[in-house]
Amino acid sequence: MLKGIIILLAFFLGGEFIAQLFAWPIPGSVIGMLLLFVFLLLRGSLPKSLKHSSDSLLPFLPLFIVPASVGIVNHLYLLQQDGWLLAGAMVASLVLGIPLCGLLMQRMLKKPAKRGGN
Amino acid sequence: MHWQAAISSLWQNPYLGIFLTLLSFQLGLFLYRRSGSQPWLHPVLVSVFSLCGVILYTDLSYGRYMDSAQFLSQLLGPAIVALAVPLYENFKLLKRYWLAFVMSNLVAGAFTIGLAVLIVYAGQGSEVSVNTMWTKSITTAIAIEIAPGIGGVAALAAALVMFTGILGSLIAPSLFKVFNINHPAAQGTALGVCAHAVGTARALEMGSIQGAFAALSMSFMGLLCALLLPFLV
Repeated sequence: MLKGIIILLAFFLGGEFIAQLFAWPIPGSVIGMLLLFVFLLLRGSLPKSLKHSSDSLLPFLPLFIVPASVGIVNHLYLLQQDGWLLAGAMVASLVLGIPLCGLLMQRMLKKPAKRGGN
Repeated sequence: MHWQAAISSLWQNPYLGIFLTLLSFQLGLFLYRRSGSQPWLHPVLVSVFSLCGVILYTDLSYGRYMDSAQFLSQLLGPAIVALAVPLYENFKLLKRYWLAFVMSNLVAGAFTIGLAVLIVYAGQGSEVSVNTMWTKSITTAIAIEIAPGIGGVAALAAALVMFTGILGSLIAPSLFKVFNINHPAAQGTALGVCAHAVGTARALEMGSIQGAFAALSMSFMGLLCALLLPFLV
């Protein structure tokens, strides 16, 4: 467990370091995630301690986003001003986006012989 | 007895925010399970709503709440890094499907984000709203981290992602039926791109392949947007 947490923190800090080093506006956590993913691909297996730590940490991910989300109390004016517009934009993009994504992927999967066959 | 002093020191206590967050989240989990996993009773939604209520109607300010709850926010970074683990575990599934997977993520992702941003822009939404809308197809945890960097607001990003997640989970099954989308990998990917974490939970209920593909496309979109948006917007 502890080993896994150390690995996660090491990749997190590494990501933060790289973001600062190149002055990239990307969050260090995302760079850390990418690095860890590449590391696992190269290693070809998942260390048990890492599996254990991520299994115990990830179920609480929703809890960790609560404090930042509560910040909406300071931006209620935004919802008053643009609430309906934002909701409408999201409904439209969902109603069209879900079928588009599903149909596109299904089409591509159902006729693989055309291009990938030879 | 010093009621007044004792109560006001309780409001100042640095553990109060953590306690209230855990308590409201537990309440949310309870309601969510009791309701048979109704997306609109998602624990995050219940928790955020009750905490907003406490902050708006009591002496506790958001600043003071955040001073305490900061601790939970700080765990977000390492938890995002941990997302690499399920991504790695599900990665093998992509072998046969990777081209279709990448293409539908790119096309549908660009389409839903572009359309939503365009509508808010055309409807003369404020600049902050337009900027925040760019994050709508990123999983909440990453959206919160990205939003401030592109001129948006983290909390609004969380609200938007939550909204699409819940609505997407509710309407996706009917859309799949109407458009005859029955391939499990296609269903999962559509849920992951459009409804993120809430959609992934819904996809897992439909089947393990749906769940795995939803998780894959959620991570893929999150990574892609996080890497590109700060340079594009």
